[in-house]
Amino acid sequence: MVSPAKTAPGAATKGALEGLRVIDQTQVMAGPFCSMLLADLGADVIKVEPREGEHTRQERQIAPGVSASFLAVNRNKRGMAIDLKKKEGIEILKRLAATADVLVENYRPGVAQRLGVDYGTLREINPKLIYCSISGFGQTGPYASRGGFDLIAQGMSGIMSATGSEGGAPVKVGVPITDLGAGLFAVFGILCAVRARRLTGRGQFVDTSLFEAGLALSAWEATEYWYTGDLPKPLGTAHRLSAPYQAFRASDGTFTVGAGNNKLWGLFAGLLGLEGLLQDERFKKPKDRLQNRAALEKLIEEITSRKPRAHWLERCEAAGIPAGPIYSIPEALADPQAQARGMTQEYDYPGVGRVRTLGNPVKMSRSPARLYKAPPALGEDNEALLSSLGYSEEEILELKEKNVIP
Amino acid sequence: MKPLQGLRVIDLTQAMAAPFCTMNLADMGAEVIKVEAPGEGESMRQLGRAQKNGHSGTFMTMNRNKRSLAVDLKQPEGVELIRRLAKTADVFVQNYRPGVAGRLGVDFESLQKINSRLVYCAISGFGNTGPYAPRGGYDLIAQGMSGVISVTGEENGPPAKAGIPLADLAAGLFGAYGILAALEHRERTGEGQLVDTSLLEAAMALTVWESSEYWLTGGVPKPMGSAHRLGAPYQALRAADGYFTVGAGSDKLFAAFCGVLGLSNRKFEKRKDRMANRPALIAEIEKITVTKSRAAWLAALEKAGVPAGPINNYAEALADPHTLAREMVVDLQHPGAGAIKALGVPVKLSETPGAVERAAPLLGEHTAEILKELCYSETEERALRAKGVVQ
Repeated sequence: MVSPAKTAPGAATKGALEGLRVIDQTQVMAGPFCSMLLADLGADVIKVEPREGEHTRQERQIAPGVSASFLAVNRNKRGMAIDLKKKEGIEILKRLAATADVLVENYRPGVAQRLGVDYGTLREINPKLIYCSISGFGQTGPYASRGGFDLIAQGMSGIMSATGSEGGAPVKVGVPITDLGAGLFAVFGILCAVRARRLTGRGQFVDTSLFEAGLALSAWEATEYWYTGDLPKPLGTAHRLSAPYQAFRASDGTFTVGAGNNKLWGLFAGLLGLEGLLQDERFKKPKDRLQNRAALEKLIEEITSRKPRAHWLERCEAAGIPAGPIYSIPEALADPQAQARGMTQEYDYPGVGRVRTLGNPVKMSRSPARLYKAPPALGEDNEALLSSLGYSEEEILELKEKNVIP
Repeated sequence: MKPLQGLRVIDLTQAMAAPFCTMNLADMGAEVIKVEAPGEGESMRQLGRAQKNGHSGTFMTMNRNKRSLAVDLKQPEGVELIRRLAKTADVFVQNYRPGVAGRLGVDFESLQKINSRLVYCAISGFGNTGPYAPRGGYDLIAQGMSGVISVTGEENGPPAKAGIPLADLAAGLFGAYGILAALEHRERTGEGQLVDTSLLEAAMALTVWESSEYWLTGGVPKPMGSAHRLGAPYQALRAADGYFTVGAGSDKLFAAFCGVLGLSNRKFEKRKDRMANRPALIAEIEKITVTKSRAAWLAALEKAGVPAGPINNYAEALADPHTLAREMVVDLQHPGAGAIKALGVPVKLSETPGAVERAAPLLGEHTAEILKELCYSETEERALRAKGVVQ
């Protein structure tokens, strides 16, 4: 990807994680997001799918064997398709594991053992292997064997109890935050283990889950509960600790303003012509504004609802008050800042044409993330990888005949 | 042994995103030195209702496992101290508005001259480049501008943000990812670099699914309450005593779910029929689910292997036996606040696990020892203290 950060002449172009081989035995969202972040930085990620392909390929197909969900999180990867229920398939995976630095899987706990590709088995073959499992609840504890989706983890970790409108129906965070959070914590754990391996010479087992990611992302809310005894509730767009910090109605929609501290509040009140409120006992200190948030919101919206969003956003920017529009997804992607930061990238996909994908959010000056490869077609790299593992043409043919590979 | 042992991180950060980044590094064994202004320290030390004996819970949460150095960067001796520290460091993290670090003399270009191996991470509202670079940005603003708010909340309801500050937290995690990758690059080449990320980009990166849906199908994703864009039933359902969640969007899980409910699934056997008739589907399901308690359904669904769960509040979530079994709640002693609780490490490493061992530092708690490490004499230290350069 083209990085807007300055790339020095002579900078490496292959990516910070060049030379790291990752076997990606993951499906759907959390695991593929994790391995995609590694691939963006140059890791050689080999996605291993069942012979029929991972099931998100089939969900609402936009061309044979490919869907929006699949394309979203599988760029920059190579692809193999192997039937791991056959012993020849397991043999391929073992040979591949002998060449790998990292393996990521997101089976339910127990499934990898049944298949014979669990950490204990693969460690025997490759003691330097870093084996990362991402599951609903982790490999231990009373719920280890349960299946877990983002929704379940959002509900159980407390996130849903703090999201939505006061008194409204249950609402989850609209993006699959525990999936993505688990993917991020997995990347973090894997890179920590890569670093530890330099010191110890050995790999290790890295174990995280959607549920734990949900809890870890609740750091603020857990603190609020532990220190005050109050349960964090849904507050719409408002902040637990400061006001005004929320969405306000304009004449043509809503916009957000963060003016919770006294300085920003003074500026915002001035901009609205509400200087009188600065002396109002109800709104003097941050804790007063928090306590009288509903009244404050009403007074502010009486003013903001008279003019369009653009009017208020321009004035907030001129005054140095953090504020912004509430964009739909297309508006967000088209915004000049998102464009300037390279957040839209493109590649060609056979049968689909030009496909757009999000840029990597981290800009590195000397080893930038890049988009160098479209997501793989099913089993696209089977033959190249099998021969690199020492399989002869005859053996590959035999694997096809036995339906081990497509 | 911890995986990031031996890594020295200078932490010039405030509030949430960047402190969360360095906290994760500290949990994994990095030696993180939190640099704060003398007097009041970072603003979070003063923030909010969540306090114990005058110590801010919000501050303590984000700054555990760190050391504190109180130094005034507005005095030249303070900047000199940071530059001496930067010579000894592997990583430098700051979250000033773009431009501020340059004015203080602790920007990437300046520090790279004195330590070319330094990995320098800047976390800001919008990133170091682009038209909005100089703007201040908060989690709320980033949630709004990334599209996250546009897909959160009830259908046709008022706008709702993610209840957790996800743009802040994700920016912190993406920062940690960039830093660790940059350290790998340094292992090969010997060179440090600038790692630049932002709340806006982090929040946008979390719309990976929604943006792909939009680009490839043209549909603009909308808020759906607790429901899923591609599968049903996958949402909160009403029981006799409140709501619980069920994820039974696939045909196989839906069949198992119908078995538990005693519902004939013929009309809704196929995923696309369920999606096309979601309101009717949910109405039929809830006719049955309202007849029994959450606990009864959850027990039955667990037996049938259908993913389901309660909607816990934070008291319930933090006391859940699984939370405790996974060591997600840790007890700590803080010199001022006494016994406090903290969240554990969400990613478990078998050989070199991270750990939460030390409560957040008092302001300047480690100033003396850090000055000594940098070979300041006692006379020099006294002079710095007398001038208010350090505390």
